[in-house]
Amino acid sequence: MPEAIDFNRDVRQILSNHCFACHGPDQAKRQAGLRLDKQEHALAVLESGQRAIVPGDSKASTLIARITNPDDEAAMPPAGSGRRLTPREVDVLRRWIDHGAPWKGHWSYLKIERPAVPAVSDVAWPKTPIDHFILQRLQAEGLKPAPEADKATLIRRLSFDLTGLPPTTADVDAFVADNDTGAYEKLVDRLLASPRYGERMAQKWLDLARYADTNGYHIDNHRDMWRYREWVIEAFNRNLPFDRFATEQLAGDLLPGATLEQKIASGFHRNVMVNFEGGADPQEYLTKYIVDRVTTTATVFLGSTLACTECHDHKYDPFTQREFYQLYAYFNSVPEQGLDGQKENPRPSIRVASPEQTAEAAKFAGQLAALESRAQAALAQETAAVPSAAPPLTAEAREYVWVDDELPPGAAPDGKDSWQWVESPAPVLQGRRASERTATGTSQHIFTAAKYPLIVGPGDKLVAHVYLDPANPPEQIMVQLNDGGGWEHRAWWGTTKIQWGVENSPSSLPMGPLPAAGRWVRLEIDAAAVNLPPGAAISGWACTQFGGHVFWDKLAIVTRRPQGPSIFDNQETWELAERLRPNSPAPPAVREPIKLAPADRNAEQQRSVRDYFVRYFYTGTRATFDPIENEIAQVKKSQDELEKALSQTMVMEEMPQPRETFMLVRGDFRSKGDKVTPGVPASLSALPAGAPPNRLGLARWLVDPNQPLVSRVTVNRYWQQYFGTGIVKTSEDFGTQGEWPSHPDLLDWLAAEFIDSGWNVKALQKLIVMSAAYRQSAHVDPQALKHDPYNRLLARGPRFRLDAEMIRDNALAVSGLLDGRIGGPSVSPYQPPGLWEEIGFGNSFTSQSYVQSHGADLYRRGIYTYWKRALPYPPMVTFDAPNREVCTDCRARTNTPLQALVLLNDPAYVEAARVLAERIMKEGGAGVNERISFAFKLCTARAPKPAELEVLTRVFQAQLAKFRQRADAATKLIGAGEAPRPTDLDTAEWAAWTAVGNVLLNLDETITKG
Amino acid sequence: MNFEQQLNRAITRRTLLGQSARGFGSVALASLLGGGLHGATIGQGLGTHGALPALHFAPKAKRIIYLFMSGAPSHIDLFDNKPKLKELTGEELPKSVRGDQRITGMTSGQSKLLLVGPAYDFKRYGQCGAEITEMMPHIGSIADDIAIVRSMHTDPINHDPAVTFLLTGNQQPGRPTLGAWMAYGLGSVNKNLPEYVVLLSGGGGQPLLARYWGNGFLPSKYQGVQFRSTGDPVLYVSNPEGIDPATRRELLDGVQQLNRLQLEAVGDPEISTRIDAYEMAFRMQTSVPELMDISQEPQSVLDMYGAQPGKASFANNCLLARRLAERDVRFVQLYHRDWDHHGNLPNELKRQCGICDQGSAALVKDLKQRGLLDETLVIWGGEFGRTAYSQGAISKDSFGRDHHPRCYSIWMAGGGIKPGITLGKTDDFGYNLAEDGVHAHDFQATVLHLMGVDHKQLTFRFQGRDFRLTDVSGKVVEKLLA
Repeated sequence: MPEAIDFNRDVRQILSNHCFACHGPDQAKRQAGLRLDKQEHALAVLESGQRAIVPGDSKASTLIARITNPDDEAAMPPAGSGRRLTPREVDVLRRWIDHGAPWKGHWSYLKIERPAVPAVSDVAWPKTPIDHFILQRLQAEGLKPAPEADKATLIRRLSFDLTGLPPTTADVDAFVADNDTGAYEKLVDRLLASPRYGERMAQKWLDLARYADTNGYHIDNHRDMWRYREWVIEAFNRNLPFDRFATEQLAGDLLPGATLEQKIASGFHRNVMVNFEGGADPQEYLTKYIVDRVTTTATVFLGSTLACTECHDHKYDPFTQREFYQLYAYFNSVPEQGLDGQKENPRPSIRVASPEQTAEAAKFAGQLAALESRAQAALAQETAAVPSAAPPLTAEAREYVWVDDELPPGAAPDGKDSWQWVESPAPVLQGRRASERTATGTSQHIFTAAKYPLIVGPGDKLVAHVYLDPANPPEQIMVQLNDGGGWEHRAWWGTTKIQWGVENSPSSLPMGPLPAAGRWVRLEIDAAAVNLPPGAAISGWACTQFGGHVFWDKLAIVTRRPQGPSIFDNQETWELAERLRPNSPAPPAVREPIKLAPADRNAEQQRSVRDYFVRYFYTGTRATFDPIENEIAQVKKSQDELEKALSQTMVMEEMPQPRETFMLVRGDFRSKGDKVTPGVPASLSALPAGAPPNRLGLARWLVDPNQPLVSRVTVNRYWQQYFGTGIVKTSEDFGTQGEWPSHPDLLDWLAAEFIDSGWNVKALQKLIVMSAAYRQSAHVDPQALKHDPYNRLLARGPRFRLDAEMIRDNALAVSGLLDGRIGGPSVSPYQPPGLWEEIGFGNSFTSQSYVQSHGADLYRRGIYTYWKRALPYPPMVTFDAPNREVCTDCRARTNTPLQALVLLNDPAYVEAARVLAERIMKEGGAGVNERISFAFKLCTARAPKPAELEVLTRVFQAQLAKFRQRADAATKLIGAGEAPRPTDLDTAEWAAWTAVGNVLLNLDETITKG
Repeated sequence: MNFEQQLNRAITRRTLLGQSARGFGSVALASLLGGGLHGATIGQGLGTHGALPALHFAPKAKRIIYLFMSGAPSHIDLFDNKPKLKELTGEELPKSVRGDQRITGMTSGQSKLLLVGPAYDFKRYGQCGAEITEMMPHIGSIADDIAIVRSMHTDPINHDPAVTFLLTGNQQPGRPTLGAWMAYGLGSVNKNLPEYVVLLSGGGGQPLLARYWGNGFLPSKYQGVQFRSTGDPVLYVSNPEGIDPATRRELLDGVQQLNRLQLEAVGDPEISTRIDAYEMAFRMQTSVPELMDISQEPQSVLDMYGAQPGKASFANNCLLARRLAERDVRFVQLYHRDWDHHGNLPNELKRQCGICDQGSAALVKDLKQRGLLDETLVIWGGEFGRTAYSQGAISKDSFGRDHHPRCYSIWMAGGGIKPGITLGKTDDFGYNLAEDGVHAHDFQATVLHLMGVDHKQLTFRFQGRDFRLTDVSGKVVEKLLA
């Protein structure tokens, strides 16, 4: 029992826990007009005329009367609530009231004031101001700090904490041998400067950012987001100040002159899951994405839980439902879709080039410029006149075949299977092949954009040949023609099944019953009857069927006009076609004048039209220009391929016209309430002057020095990274339900220091690890364990199991397998077969089958492992990695049999043991003892004690004897993994060392930061 | 008290609190202790390392086997006979019946919502005369042992949120599933196997997510462990090639000896927990393959289930569920995922009945004949029902049904469930509830109740709030209780 009652430490949480649900911030649920979260209300005279709290007089306070009489009908909390105050809690409240019921605002919402560093009697121990705070509390509790850990332990602890990797043996030896008083600090500086530092820090941040490689929800297919991960790593490595780190992630896209990197950073809030489940309501999911942004922002930066305010005012903390939607308004104007991501990244998404790809793009641009110069030069030389008028119609109509074995030049088939060419023995009318199709409903052979359209003459007929399978005839067949204006030119045979166009009009012209099956039949359509008058230019054709099995061949026109490439031997015909050409790529300088009669064009217009014709179409100049155009087409194709190969990354953008934001009644996306505008919770600090009403304004507010929470929450989270538990244990909740800090003044001192340092992240890490508190031995004294089982007071150094990624990285590092590349797309290590497939939705979607990586990609750090939300990499999940569906502030740390199975049997760890064995045999010296010491030190940074040496020697000798007798078993064991196998090692010995490696990689000490 | 004893005392405490300073612990526990479970002190109580020091009621069931029919089986065609609907086939769904019910994007564009009757006839089965489709004669044969609930209803209308809602109490990801709550609250009664086991039928259908057996905000050790019919029965349970069980034991002895030396040197009770975990891992290397080897079952048993050793199937999983029940695994969840019949329903339904009918019924019969049914709660059902109207055209032998959350059917058996009853009614269209609605949260409350747990008092504090499976609602369905 504390001597003096502190309202914030001792009283507030009792009230919050037991009373606020009905007597707190939530106006809608408030009972009896009593509100206990605000002093003026708590002390006021109630509707009943009584007073809940009479300062100085617990006997007169009805609050005490109600909570002390559990059998009374009026007892509080009410019987049905399942809650009851403990005698200790009652006593605290009573004493607090008797001492005058002093009140304070909730500690974490008060402006951060830097506390004085306390003076302590032991001046030798503290190494930083941190230690004064720690020591003061230890002394108050009658505890003493532990001695400093030995140097080997320190370098291992530091290496894991600052880089996520173990130290090399050489690093250990050098540090142990370095007697310089500044040796420790030098080591800290070296590790902070290592690029591994960024990877280590990013790993924690990616849990908060809910970074993953899939979209989550229902089908959970692939998304490209690794550029964002790379940005985070890089940001830590260049020590981007935290205020900018936060701002760029929340609003990088809105910064003036936003760089590509800043746009990539804005992907922070695009890491939300995105759904496209069939039949789901886009509005419902759009709402979910924005809600997630609000709650994640609150958790990450405010250490506050806002999830409940989606539906109602907060029960414990001073946040209203209206304020929730004011925050929501900041994130409500992203041009995104409620259902998206089925094929590519959910929009908005940008493509990002690597340096190599940028160089490649520049090369293509240069090639294109050179080709364009060549074309211009050739054009300047083409001075001969071109025929302007079309030749006259021929007297007799003749048949011009447009499609036989190939589609005409330029034709764009719709979809890759729309023309399925088959050869004899399938029915073929003429030439080499025909096109075949079997359908259950409407289905078609189709193309558009032929370069040389059919130009319709008077009385022309269109011809198609069809062969219906007598065993499976269709119900309807149809020919459709595209004149650049669309497909409203249809003729059909059979019964009405295809509901396109207006029946009995040129857009759906019945031609009679189906033709006879089992033989080729010529179909003839009068062009004028399907609204294709003389002069019309047909650039697309579709042969459509409903059901059945159909072959098509020889599409033609019976015409009196010249057709084919030679149609462009005069400018008039081309102009006719060009005017009707769908999506013409011609520039406006051609498209506009061509609409005018030639006589109405000025000289410049005439010239640009003529030049375009000469360059791209005129029959007489093909020999000059086609080679250039072919080269241009090749380069453009390469450009397209490059463009497609660029990685994508999702970013934030703002809609030109922001969406209106409405409160949602009970959080239901269908029930709009009041309209709201962007704003921040009133109980915290005010928006800084001039903050714009968008995400940038929100970011400015968060990193404003007056903002009480952001710095406290952030330093606490870093503290948690080193000591396992934050100064505030509930690092995700700094509200009234959160836990009172173990060292409140230290937290505020650190928070002030962080802001005053210019939000210097590396400086803060250094400050923490330089402390004597951090450097203590982690040896657990039973007495101290009893007094402080969770080491909240820090009478010893931190000791806990490594994070999932670090366990993997450690095994790769000590075996020498680790691939050191930084950044890049995710990789796929060994994984038991079938795991994705048995939950997936088939291979028409991405990330439904696991494709394992090979080579160096098998040995990359855990942070680069492909993160599939529906089923994240199992070894990592087993070691408590989250699925990243939602923001995770702190991973629980469990200790389970499944973890043992991973380390004992996962091929990745067996391979690591096998490769470690190779290292032992090649680098570990000659004798068994020497080799064991070598390996033991790789795994633990220290030499084995005699007893340990003895155990491992026994293991080695027993296994060696066994593998000598069982060559097959030895061969199998060293067969683990895809890493290259040396050929000069003794198999039995190799297997025995592999067994020793397996033991070492499973030691508690190996997977623990001590 | 010597060092070892001191340590053990500390360990007991830490183990109970989740072996972690940060995972969960004192806060949640304090709230539980303050929540009506008076008198219990740490280290006493259930003795199973669960968060609950004692059960709130005498439990009716010791364990649960949940046959999850993912994709949503059609209640109208299986358990909720609607003769009137048959007569009305081809007529439009009256507006008055539809009311304000949401419709998915898959049928909201249809110009007409045309009613369609059950694909197959119903029969009356058992002494109780329960009406069940003729396509499920085996389930018909256990009619007197099961309770059919025709009045289930839920909130979401799409698969992912609906499965998530039914199993975690919330539509959005992030909360623990029923099995995880059990493992957290009740701990483990099993020294050789995990407490929460998941079995997948194999084959296609609606996608699954590990979230459906996830731990949500609870520590990861409470998530379901998949037992698989191909490859390693539990991931990484098999020794690598070249390491036989005897060698594994020798190497493990090495690990344990070194860990004990470390424990002596450092004194961290976490090391002791790890030593125990490695021993259980070793036991699992024997117990799991032994459990999964159904070829040891007599042919008559295999035949009863329609099980064929060596492949992943629903029937095999039903048999495995019984074997898990015999070994005191507390929560077994099967996923069968091909009930999403938007089109071609008559054929698809018949096919799924063919796959699921026999094994489901055999499980109940087998548990009964072994005296295990009384203490094992068996649940059969999906995430919602299907519409009375057709998705797409209706032809003589083909039509489809869209998602329908407003009412649907499941059945339950054993473990404190009143046998031979049909609870609840829907309207003539199978579209609206008429009587005794059982909301997803009521269902959850009832399941917890049968296990001896008050759904309001199994809580976990996360982000300042004491979360529970039933969120802020849920009533125990007394009429279902034996």
